Amino acid sequence: MNVKIMERDVLSPLADTEFNKIVLNPIPDRIGSISLLDNTKSGANIVLETIRGILGYSKVFKARKPAGAPGTGEQIKLAAEADLCILALGDCGSCTTWLILDAIRLEKQGTPTISVCSDIFTPFARELAVSYGAGNLRIVEVEHPLAGKPRESIVNKASKPAAQIKGILNKV
Amino acid sequence: MVGKDTEKEAHQKNEDCKLCGIDELLVKNNPKERLCSVQEADFEIFTDPDVEKVSNEFYIKKQTDGLPIIPPTKTRVDKFIKYSDLKPEEIIAILPPKRGKATLEKVAINSVMAGCIPSFAPVVQHTIKAVSQEKFNLPGVNTTTHPIAICTLVNGPISRELAINSGAGCLGPGNIANSTIGRALRLSIINIAGAVPGIGDHATLGSPAKYSYCFAEAEDESPWEPLHVERGYNSDTSTVTVMAAEAPHNVNDHRSTSAEDLLNTLIHTASVAGSNNSHVPGELLLIMGPEHARTVADDGWTKEDTKKYIHENALVPLKLGDRGGRKLDEKWVKNGMVKITRSADDVVLVVAGGPGRHTMISHGFGTSSESVTLPILLKDGTIAKSTDEFRDK
Repeated sequence: MNVKIMERDVLSPLADTEFNKIVLNPIPDRIGSISLLDNTKSGANIVLETIRGILGYSKVFKARKPAGAPGTGEQIKLAAEADLCILALGDCGSCTTWLILDAIRLEKQGTPTISVCSDIFTPFARELAVSYGAGNLRIVEVEHPLAGKPRESIVNKASKPAAQIKGILNKV
Repeated sequence: MVGKDTEKEAHQKNEDCKLCGIDELLVKNNPKERLCSVQEADFEIFTDPDVEKVSNEFYIKKQTDGLPIIPPTKTRVDKFIKYSDLKPEEIIAILPPKRGKATLEKVAINSVMAGCIPSFAPVVQHTIKAVSQEKFNLPGVNTTTHPIAICTLVNGPISRELAINSGAGCLGPGNIANSTIGRALRLSIINIAGAVPGIGDHATLGSPAKYSYCFAEAEDESPWEPLHVERGYNSDTSTVTVMAAEAPHNVNDHRSTSAEDLLNTLIHTASVAGSNNSHVPGELLLIMGPEHARTVADDGWTKEDTKKYIHENALVPLKLGDRGGRKLDEKWVKNGMVKITRSADDVVLVVAGGPGRHTMISHGFGTSSESVTLPILLKDGTIAKSTDEFRDK
């Protein structure tokens, strides 16, 4: 007589995920205006100003939003008034999350975006964008850290994402 | 189990066996000396998996909080599912950042792993629903570098039915409900939401409060109305309240004899520059020991008076709150001081704990999250008086 002893199976605690694909807006051939969406993180304003200076646009809308929470309807509306919105700065967990989620909100409303994240948090930003169906969201990197650094250091670091953005706009 | 039949497959084989008459079972000269020629074995015995082995396997896959787990077998998970009026596949919430579907079954699996007993299921289920409310801001709470945990407070008769500790040591170890309900939420956050430390949860240092942070209010010990009544529910309605909160910090005051003196000690402990509240004012959780609450109430102060006094006097000097130019919103600044709460209602005041003259304070996540209180309801919207009402629905 054969007796078979088997262990009970264990069930997986992992879950299926919700997925809705987001179609990104193309960068327009001619950009008349840009908006700078500053999430008030340390150095975000310097990064955005440096990028604006290098890109050279004169018609600029400036908006501020909370770092660890969604932008208000008014803030998002102001940011959506331009042909392109540049968002900064994702350099922590919740601010990266809401930078990316607000960029996706803008994309859904028809505004193309480019998000600036520190290189430490960019992998998470990309993963989050994938989870929200926007795997090809435009994200550029700035060297971490910026918080607690002097202005000149932040300006220097911002030249790299500025060059990346220039490349994206020139489609090179 | 690799290389072995699953329990389900074994059952299927039993179904497929057509030779189970007594004659076939007694057939002689079976070359393999088995009673039944179709079955691989005459008897199949199922044993529970080894706890240490399963804990290690799950740990390696980053599916635990680092502590051993109870293996989530179907038998155990089914016992949980019986304590809900939802179907196993019904989605309670979508949990960010991974946007995992928190079905009843997945929440039950994580609850079993946490060590919950099945009657805790309705509380865990409502806690998951509560954290998914928009104003709670779970995307931010789960991913932040800030060491914010999720505090779960249970009010009403179900808190007593489940013997959730509201007395001595209620924020510490020793009670299965306090220890495992909070842990079930955390494991769900790790496995369903994808907030794995260092991957989806980016807390710089984390917090011991992320293991479990659950207690009940000592409603019978409080001189004031409990939180759920303050928020509009009847005292016999059971509720769960979730709040994004830091690990608690003690306020020791053995000597104050007046409400004002005692509250000033508390205010001084809460008004610190390093909290989120000092630059983005928000909720402040006060878990007041019953003896402290009695000192305040005996001085004639209502709960509303107490909250108002704390709101108006819990201030941080602007030069500390705005150090380095944190870009404080001007609306929070008055006469060079920053209020750490936006209104008296941001002072979330509850009574819990045993004898002694201590209170715990927990700073919140600033303006970025607001606590949520939900009644524990059956699916048809009726108030559950007991967890038994969820059973076998």
